[in-house]
Formats: sequence, structure tokens, C-alpha cells
Amino acid sequence: METKIPRTSEAFRSLMRADFTTQWRNRRSVMMSLLVPLIILISWKGLIDKFGGAFVFSISLTIGLVSIGMMGYAISVARDRDKGIFQRLRVTPMPTSFIMISRLMVQLGMIALLTLGVFIIGYEVDKISLTPAGYVLTFVTAFLGGALYLGFGQMIVGLIKNAETVNSTTRLVYIAFIMLGMFGELGAFGTELKNIIHWSPFGTVKTMLASAMQPAIWNYDATIALVATVAYALVFSFLGIKWFKWSSAGA
Amino acid sequence: MIDQPGASILQVENLNVFYGTFQAVSNVTFNVKSGEIFGLLGPNGAGKTSTLSAVEGLLSPESGEISVAGFNISKQPLLAKANMGVQLQATSFQPELTITEIIKLYAGIYGVDLSVDRLNSILQNIKLEEAASKRFGQLSGGQQQRVSLVISTIHDPVLVLLDEPTSGLDPQSRRQLWERIEAIREKGHGVLLTTHSMEEAEAVCDRIAIIDHGKVIATNTPQALIDLHKNDPDVINASRKGKITLEDVFIGLTGKTVRA
Repeated sequence: METKIPRTSEAFRSLMRADFTTQWRNRRSVMMSLLVPLIILISWKGLIDKFGGAFVFSISLTIGLVSIGMMGYAISVARDRDKGIFQRLRVTPMPTSFIMISRLMVQLGMIALLTLGVFIIGYEVDKISLTPAGYVLTFVTAFLGGALYLGFGQMIVGLIKNAETVNSTTRLVYIAFIMLGMFGELGAFGTELKNIIHWSPFGTVKTMLASAMQPAIWNYDATIALVATVAYALVFSFLGIKWFKWSSAGA
Repeated sequence: MIDQPGASILQVENLNVFYGTFQAVSNVTFNVKSGEIFGLLGPNGAGKTSTLSAVEGLLSPESGEISVAGFNISKQPLLAKANMGVQLQATSFQPELTITEIIKLYAGIYGVDLSVDRLNSILQNIKLEEAASKRFGQLSGGQQQRVSLVISTIHDPVLVLLDEPTSGLDPQSRRQLWERIEAIREKGHGVLLTTHSMEEAEAVCDRIAIIDHGKVIATNTPQALIDLHKNDPDVINASRKGKITLEDVFIGLTGKTVRA
């Protein structure tokens, strides 16, 4: 009898279906990724006149992206690694890369959902609307920003093997990003910190997103923010993949 | 694929596994034939799981050759993996998925056409029809092991690898699992299992290898090992009930010191 390797498309489809189902049933992660940005969008309605719709939009989206990278991706990877779910999948006749590609596809789906949610709520509640080019560019740059935080999440699970430590670290990083990002950019912690935050992973994504929403005023600062975002994403992903172990036991 | 009964379906030759400078497996050689249950026994940290992980392709050995149904695990990993079914030590499935979803997932990965009738027959066979929509995390240990075992054989592999399959099970569930493992053998598949239970090794294994400090120190049928070592002073010294058992041989060969 001849041995046949199963069709990769069928294997990948099955894996993606399971990963999407797992994500959907993991309500806490979905809520954190979608609800918090939408709450910010609604509660900051009063600031739109002062800072502009793009500012509130971009803050809200950036926080959602941080949440997807940290709470959605990193925590689930750490947990599944700890439970041996990856090892179970690695002993099947399927390319190992499928395991992570499927996970990333799920998170890209979450980014699309988040961006759509922010657009809809922003329009319905805050009466913020963009030009068609603004919507498209924001969508594209949201994926770029998402890549940065997924890379950041990958770096955390690459650096830290213990699932509980990953859990607490990502929560701390998430809170730090929210507090420093939201209030630091407003100048609440002084000018120096404001500059640091502006060029931090939070600041570059926020700047890039805010500029993407208004393509007509896209400037040099926005281009540099985009380049920095891509560079951050590449460095974080490279380190995260390099350091990553499939098993928390070390193999 | 190997079709002849009694043909070697797993060949491990001169396997060496290192973790940094620590050698976990040293020149391990053995084979598993079709229609045979082969047990890998050893104290904690003896190198059983490392050997099994190398066979499964989960770690790269420093040197040595492993072939499954004639396919080299390093050079033709997907073909080798298509011929093996694996039950890992941990019950490693997404707890959010139901049993049906998990079975469908692995059927899809292994390219198995799973009709509704086939799915129902699988669930019936493992006595979990009523629990089909339950999530994996809600099952008892015995039920989880049954799901795990059925998934390891869903694609009808020539070789089934079981890492401590009955660990943590009550006697009834253990006996039931032994019958399922024996049924796999009856179909002509080869089974490689690791276990700490000498009772299990004696009850189900056709041949066993005792591994200690990364080396295979004895390979034979359980009865032949007892006959061969029953007069060893260390084995007699280890005996508690007068009659020499496989456990006495095991203790006699590997020592009384408790391993970490």
C-alpha cells in the first residue's frame, strides 16, 4: 500500500476552523480585544472637538491592536504550548508552519473585526466619517500595526516559557501601553516622555493610523512612523521566532 | 508501507539525544514489528520520553537513524508521520472544542473522509455518543484517554505510539484501555508504549526494552527477562513476595534509588 500525505489545503482548513472556533469560545479575549477600544471610542466622545476624530479613532484602534497581540495571541500561544497542544499538532503529517499561520489568520480576522467595529461605532455614536481612501488606508495600516503587536506578543512567548508569567507580563504591558500611550501622548507625563512615547511601538502605530485616516495630510512624520512600525514588527517577529520553543518543557 | 505481518515497522538505530551537554539517550537501538506491542520501560529521567519524542519527530537527535514504515523521520518527516499515530503524555487538545470538533479536526489533518455514520460509529466505539457535544475539558480522565487513543488511530496508522497511556486511570479504565490497545495489535498495527507500570508491561507487551541512564540495558519478552534474570542477586534481593516478577527484574537491573 502506498503512503499518501494528506492534502495540505484540507489540513489547513480543518486547523483554521478549529482555531476560529477556539477563539470565538474564548469570550474574555474577544471582549478585551473588541469591547475596550469601543468603550474608549464612546467615552472619549467629548474629546473629539478638541483633538479631532482621527486622534480618538487611532487611540481606540491602537489599544485594540495591543489587546489582540497581547491578550489574544500571546496568552493563547503560551497556554496551548503549556498544554502540549502544539506538540500534538506537530506529530501530524502537516507542515509545522501551518500551526502558526492558522493562529495568525485568526488574529488578522480579529483585526478586521476590530477595525470594522471602530468604523461603525465611530460613525454611529461619534459621527466620525472618513473619505473612502481614508477607510482603505486605515484598514491596511491597521494590519501593519497589528503585525507589530503580534510580533511583540511572539517576542514575549519566545522570551518567557511559563504560561502564567506570560499571562501576567502581557497584562502589565497592556496596562502600561494604555496608560502611557493614552495619557503620555496628551503630555500628562512631561514633554520628554511624550517624545519617547511618540516613537514607541504605541506612538508609531497611533501616528500611522491617525495619518492614514486623513490621507490628504499624510506627511513625513507619518512616513517615518510607518517605516518604524514595519521595522519594529520585523525585529520583534524575528526575535520572537528565533527564541520560540514549541514546548514549555524545552523541546 | 509494510504489509507483511511481523515485519519491522519502526527501526531505531544508534540513537543519541543531547540536551546541551547532557546526554539523555545513548546509542539506543530497537525495532517494533507489525502486530506487536513493544514496551519501553525505565525509571524517571531514563530517556523513554526523549526516545519517543525523537521517533515522533519532536526533537532532532544528535545522531542515529529512525525509520517508520521505511521512511526516515529526518529526511521524509511527513511520510513517516503519516504512518504513525501518537498519543502524548499530556491530554493535549483545545479544551474549548467539543469531542466531535476535535475528531473532525484530526480527521481533516490526516485526510480521513469522515461521514456522519463514521463519526457516530467512532463515538459509539469509545462509548461517548452522549458526550459528543461536550467540551474536551469537561471529560473525565478515562474519557479523555479514550478520545486521545481514537484520534491516534483515526487514520489507521501502521505504528501507534503511546506515552504512558494509562497513567492516572482507575483499574476499570486501565483494563478497558488495555483491551483497546490489544485490539490495535489484532488489526496488525505495531504499538510502541512507554509505561511505569510493570503490571501493564507484563499484561499487554509482547516485548519490552528496559532503558536506564539513556541506554537500553535489556530487551526481550517479559517472561524471557524474568527467566534470564531470576537468579541475579540484585533481582532476588529486590523480590518482596518470593516469586520473581518483572518489577523485581526491573528494580534489580535499574537499582533501588528513587530518581527525580
